[in-house]
Amino acid sequence: MPVSTYIDAIARGMWEEMERDPSVFLLGEDIGAYGGAFKATKGFQEHFGADRVIDTPLSEAAIIGAATGAALAGMRPVAEMQFADFVTCGFNQLVTNTAKIHYRWHIPVPMVVRLPTGGYIHGGPYHSASTEAWFFHVPGLKIVAPSTPADAKGLMKAAVRDDNPVLFFEFKYLYRRIRGEVPDGDHLVPIGRGVIRREGDDVTVITYGSTTHFAMEAADIVAQEDGIGTRIVDLRSLAPLDTEMILEAVRATGKVLIVHEAALTGGVGGEVAALIAEHAFTDLDAPIRRVCALDTPVPFAPALEEVVLPDTGRIVQAIRGLYRF
Amino acid sequence: MARTEVIMPQMGESIAEGTIVKWYKKVGDRIRKDETILEISTDKVDSEIPSPAAGILVEILIKEQQTVPVRTVLAYIDAEGMGDGSHGPVVESPRPAAVPEPPPVQRDAAPREALPHRGRFYSPLVLNIARTEGVGMEDLERIPGTGEGGRVSKNDILRYVAARGSKPAAPHAGGAADARPPLPGNEILPMSNVMQKMAEHMVQSVRTSPHVSAVHEVDMSAVLRHRMEHTKAFEAANGFKLTFTPYIVDAVVKAIKKYPLINSSLDGDKIIRKSSINIGLAVAAENGLLVPVVRHAEAMNFLGLARAVNDLVVRTRNRKLVPDDVQGGTFTISNYGIFGTMIGTPIINQPQIAILGTGAVVKRPVVIADAIAIRSMAYFTLSFDHRIVDGALGGMFLAEIVRVLEELDPDMKA
Amino acid sequence: MSTKVTAPSRPVTALSNADRLSLYYFMRLARECDAAIMKLYRQGKIVGGAYTGKGNEATAVGSAFALQKKDYLFPMHRDLGAHLVKGATVRSIFLQQLGRGNGPTGGRDGSGHYADPQLRIYGNVSHLAAMIPVAVGAALASSMKKEGAVVMNYIGDGGSNVGDFHEGLNMAAVMNLPLLLIVENNQYAYSTPNAKEFAAQRLSDRGVGYGIPAVTIDGTNVGLVYETCARAAERARRGEGPTLIEAVTMRMDGHSASDDASYVPAAMIEEWKHKDPIERWEKILTADRVLHEQNKKEMEAKIRDAIDDAVSFAEESMPPDGGKAAEGVFAP
Repeated sequence: MPVSTYIDAIARGMWEEMERDPSVFLLGEDIGAYGGAFKATKGFQEHFGADRVIDTPLSEAAIIGAATGAALAGMRPVAEMQFADFVTCGFNQLVTNTAKIHYRWHIPVPMVVRLPTGGYIHGGPYHSASTEAWFFHVPGLKIVAPSTPADAKGLMKAAVRDDNPVLFFEFKYLYRRIRGEVPDGDHLVPIGRGVIRREGDDVTVITYGSTTHFAMEAADIVAQEDGIGTRIVDLRSLAPLDTEMILEAVRATGKVLIVHEAALTGGVGGEVAALIAEHAFTDLDAPIRRVCALDTPVPFAPALEEVVLPDTGRIVQAIRGLYRF
Repeated sequence: MARTEVIMPQMGESIAEGTIVKWYKKVGDRIRKDETILEISTDKVDSEIPSPAAGILVEILIKEQQTVPVRTVLAYIDAEGMGDGSHGPVVESPRPAAVPEPPPVQRDAAPREALPHRGRFYSPLVLNIARTEGVGMEDLERIPGTGEGGRVSKNDILRYVAARGSKPAAPHAGGAADARPPLPGNEILPMSNVMQKMAEHMVQSVRTSPHVSAVHEVDMSAVLRHRMEHTKAFEAANGFKLTFTPYIVDAVVKAIKKYPLINSSLDGDKIIRKSSINIGLAVAAENGLLVPVVRHAEAMNFLGLARAVNDLVVRTRNRKLVPDDVQGGTFTISNYGIFGTMIGTPIINQPQIAILGTGAVVKRPVVIADAIAIRSMAYFTLSFDHRIVDGALGGMFLAEIVRVLEELDPDMKA
Repeated sequence: MSTKVTAPSRPVTALSNADRLSLYYFMRLARECDAAIMKLYRQGKIVGGAYTGKGNEATAVGSAFALQKKDYLFPMHRDLGAHLVKGATVRSIFLQQLGRGNGPTGGRDGSGHYADPQLRIYGNVSHLAAMIPVAVGAALASSMKKEGAVVMNYIGDGGSNVGDFHEGLNMAAVMNLPLLLIVENNQYAYSTPNAKEFAAQRLSDRGVGYGIPAVTIDGTNVGLVYETCARAAERARRGEGPTLIEAVTMRMDGHSASDDASYVPAAMIEEWKHKDPIERWEKILTADRVLHEQNKKEMEAKIRDAIDDAVSFAEESMPPDGGKAAEGVFAP
């Protein structure tokens, strides 16, 4: 099976969908001639033409609004925000128009918004933000957050084919750091289904995105040094959540640690914790704990960023703490 | 004649009340639809209000200068005949779109967990395991804890359960000692686990089922005769005494076969009719009320029932019941007659829908063919769940039990 | 990109008498519908908010009259006339206003906030300017599909100051999309007069900033509105890009039913009363003997019947089923 980087897998997914369906087109800043700020769309405009790979002005509201209007009129746009941080400029379009149209008008809005997200790249406060929690709270938006190349391709294809707006969070930290096997052809990952990355009987870790990889490292460490078995659930989708998998994984061990790169307060982890407390209360042998970023903007200097964002070390500590409870 | 309400409109999303500035019409005036009939004032704007219907202004409820909440009825207009412009069946002012019922909240059926006892904290999971494995509070307290602060963890209790082996369990819930000091002279007695369970069950049963009790008297003569004739041979052949119980169980089984709906339970709005007839026999054991169950009574003949009943009674006495013995009952018999009680009103054993209580057998004068005879009589009470069983069904079922007993075949094999 | 605006192939002088009567009919129908909505609101039968387009009828009707079936309409809350010209039924308007289950949005949204893809009408959101980028997107899709269609969108003198106006118009201009953006300058944005909303002398001056043709016209002259929009539409169909049209009118009622507009100088209202769009067109048609007592009365009866029918139909229709309130957030 071919191996590729995370970012190439995303590109592969888009490419295949554009070949398959002429109504799929891309729009965003610098995506055409330049190939995208991260080169995710390198080569696309040469192959598909400027009509289907559109370089837009710097106008996030217009990009998202136009994607919405084009979707209403029968196309399947994939819009790019250059950094997830800039989605704030198009926030109104997303939550006022995109999210609410189907509920009000029963008209599907088949569009994807790609959001290069997250830190660990010394990007400072405006190139490192995790913005998924804002949209998690808006009915009408689906949210996916793959952590492996295979899932990135599979979820991109699924997102394009979904008749609803899908926010596709791509973890820039993983773009070229992670390589993995990516199935050829029509490999689709269903939206709303997580995956067990690792089996274990002592502590369950529920996570998504970049921190999935830190959790895997932590699980190796505690297995070797403490003999602790960690079960890792990679959510892959945030809206909808794979509630069944979450509850099953909790029942398997009775101890759960939720890990995400986004800030602690008001993060998706709080909702997962509430779900577990409500539906698996009698399966809990320990309090539900979370390892997340501190409640601050993501700072620039590495000495600060590594304190604010969660890392393998903090996850190891938390797993041990839960195991001993 | 259709009557239309004139209501105080909401002139803006934040407006909660309005004041009547002036009525342009008075009681008795004829009004055309949409004709201005009054003027109102709100925080935002003054407005003329057009009439919602044509007709006669028959009543003015709110006077000028009065302030009332939005949607208050201000006046009534009665239509006269077909009028000009009155439309459709509108009588009341239109209600806003029905506020949807919130979706039913899923209520977790698990009972409340016990409070922490003697300083040790038990997690929900540990208590859950304790309940399902029949580990009582006293035992739980003795389990060594390897968790933080000496806490009993999941692994600790699972280890304990594995080492202990299987144990008979009426499920125990931890009992919390009353923390308040007793009044002088009063004594605080702890409730045993079995007692607590019984208490919970009884409360829940009464809350769940609307109980109705029907009483029927039974002439036990045929049963007595049969028993007298067969008792010696029976005891010799089987090694235990022939009691009334198998007769009653047999009659109940026969009656259930005729009225199978009695052998059901209610799940939401669905009736689950059980295929096997498992008769529970309420027994006063040393540590409380137990209800061992004769399983698959429908497949047993009289002798089989007698043996099954005896087996249960003996094992109950010797505390050798296993969890299977007290589960899965579909109908219960409570024989309080052994205490001399004549008539009782037993409480249904959930999730069943009926229970038979049998009173003491006493000799009484009865009227037979217009003459007085002395017969051994008993009162049987059927308490049933009136959600499923009505008086007719309850009465007929009970009557059938009585009939089987009263028309007992003297040659029935015992 | 050419900024020359040539005469349309079908100028107002080429309109048939039937067309001219249609313009009159739709303006009257729009005004009567608005009045009926206000009445129902004051009777407590319509809840929430109610708005009229009194004074805006020529702009709404004249502009939509220049559209073809395949064109897209993104109207605002004072453009009921445009909805009606594009084919919305009077019944659907009242079902929507009364929040009925069989209305265009099943009661999920109110006023003009509905969409009818068959008629290619996409109603407004409360963040009015937010529809401009969406209209641009529709224009983008339409041009990708080579439909030869135009997208007509409206915004007010207030809403034209929102960022989306800039982003949307700029994108339409640089991508050469078939968008007609009509700024309905009715002098007031709620209680805020033009002088406090912008410093530009005329809103059409902004066109230069985007590199597109822009014009300011008398929005009470339905014939002029029609012709201006027809020209702009043909430009767009020829692939020459968007046009900005500022139609100057007066908001004759308050901002909404709960606003008595006491901040508008009485003299101003008096002055604009003389420029009532419907009266103006009526005078012209009467002078031309196209409109007379007979057909005017027939038209009025037709309008009254249509509204009466729509109101009773809506009042007799059921409210939406509360049990379904949680459904439909996503397409299956």
